[in-house]
Amino acid sequence: MVPAMLTAEEMQILATSLGVAGRAVVFSLPVAIAFAWALSRSKFPGKWIIDAIAHLPLVLPPVLVGYLLLLLFGVRGPIGSWLRDAFGIQLAFTAEGAALATAVMAFPLMVRAIRLSFEAADSSLFEAAAVLRAGPWDRFWSMALPLAWPGVLAGAVTAFAAGLGEFGAVITFASNVEGQTQTIPLAIYSALQTPNGEETALRLAAISMTAAITGLVLAELLQRWARRRLEA
Amino acid sequence: MSLKLKDAAVRRGAFRLTADFEAPTEGITVVFGPSGGGKSMLLATIAGLHKLETGRLNFKGKVMEEVSTKTRIGPHARGIGLVFQDARLFPHRTVRGNIQYAESRRPAARNAPIVTEIARRLEIEDLLDRPVRNLSGGERSRVALARAVVSAPELLLLDEPFAALDGRRRHAFLTLLRDLSREQGLPMMIVTHQVDEVAELADHVIAVSQGRVICHGAASDVMHRADFAALLDRRDLGARVDAKSVANGQGGGVWVRADSVLLASEEPRGISARNVWRGRIASILREQDGSILVSLATEAGYILSRITPEAFADLELQEGATGWAVVKSHAL
Repeated sequence: MVPAMLTAEEMQILATSLGVAGRAVVFSLPVAIAFAWALSRSKFPGKWIIDAIAHLPLVLPPVLVGYLLLLLFGVRGPIGSWLRDAFGIQLAFTAEGAALATAVMAFPLMVRAIRLSFEAADSSLFEAAAVLRAGPWDRFWSMALPLAWPGVLAGAVTAFAAGLGEFGAVITFASNVEGQTQTIPLAIYSALQTPNGEETALRLAAISMTAAITGLVLAELLQRWARRRLEA
Repeated sequence: MSLKLKDAAVRRGAFRLTADFEAPTEGITVVFGPSGGGKSMLLATIAGLHKLETGRLNFKGKVMEEVSTKTRIGPHARGIGLVFQDARLFPHRTVRGNIQYAESRRPAARNAPIVTEIARRLEIEDLLDRPVRNLSGGERSRVALARAVVSAPELLLLDEPFAALDGRRRHAFLTLLRDLSREQGLPMMIVTHQVDEVAELADHVIAVSQGRVICHGAASDVMHRADFAALLDRRDLGARVDAKSVANGQGGGVWVRADSVLLASEEPRGISARNVWRGRIASILREQDGSILVSLATEAGYILSRITPEAFADLELQEGATGWAVVKSHAL
């Protein structure tokens, strides 16, 4: 995609989308890794609760997720009001809020990819590390994470590509503010509501598809490269 | 200074291993027994990879694990290394990276070779910058050994590390282990199910079968015991002779199979065999298939010989009489 082909407005929308999806991935990745690690380990009490929480956004209507976020993180919500009073941070109706909503929606995708990769790692290698004096934390950082790297990368890239297209949760929690929270799907929605907006909508649709497909191809390439590297 | 298991039991699925013994942590101890008897499980338990169900494990006077007091030191903090049968090299690191993994984690106070030294000693210098995925079986074994030695354990456990090797290369690896143990002052506990290797390597033997420790003690004692002999295949039956009593003997001892020993009732002359031992016939035993097992007390120790009933009749052997045992060097 050559930038010159895009109007200033489209560049703005694309930048908002990339920013929202990027922040969503960066901030939820550590949490997703922690969830995936816990879920990939053998049984522990309360595992099903963690499993359910991680998968909830997949089965709830996105609008409902946005509404729940509004209830919790809204200006008058328990967490939202605390954030505002303690740190002066407002999430609802901001780009940060859009990132939060996107992160929540993309979370199950990320956890799933990373978890599969943790589970696929040969646990006999952890034993080999243990008898070379590596403690549990050391084994996580030096063995589990590097071995799961392909899944972590693929999970992040897939979540990023999916995040570019998140609609329901974002519009409910962060609203559709031009130049701030208006990501590509929101802009397409606005264009379709506008008389003679179809050409704009089509151009945006092309941008959206290009970005999504690029993301998927990238994820696949990364995974192949990493798998080759780890073949024993 | 010893390794002690007291009333210890470990369970993996339906298999249960019990152990109650004390072994010195110096020189080379060989864990011997038939496949599936629990040898690998014993090693994994000592290393801390399996939890004790009952009992206690002491290493050099320290409690490593005690079920009654819920004491348990993790495998990373025991100072006990383990070389696995399948090497278990880290695929995301080069050969050098694998060895450095161990080097960067050993306590500063422990004296051990650095990467380049061990690589030269084990002849893997040319492999250092290669990824581990296309190493041969023998190369993998040596890299795994290098990695474990560099980690500077106080005791190194080896679970059939030469399983991937055959014939001459296997023997070369055995010699390497023996030399390395002496050079580094590194006590080793080695699993094998080949009786020749026990005789050659072991200062001390722990015989394991069907989830139990059958017998243990100095190699020169244990290998003469009937319960040790009961673990052997019929054609492996024989006796341990000190290496210095054998022409070209290597290591601590040599296993002389009963099937490879000729028996003579008069002193043999003008023969090519290098090993001729004179002795007194200590016992004569008729086996189920009619073969005769003769035990000869010689200055090299007891030697067993298996002969046919016809040969036995010809020689007119009797307990207490003098006889000669003859073995070709190449039969050992």
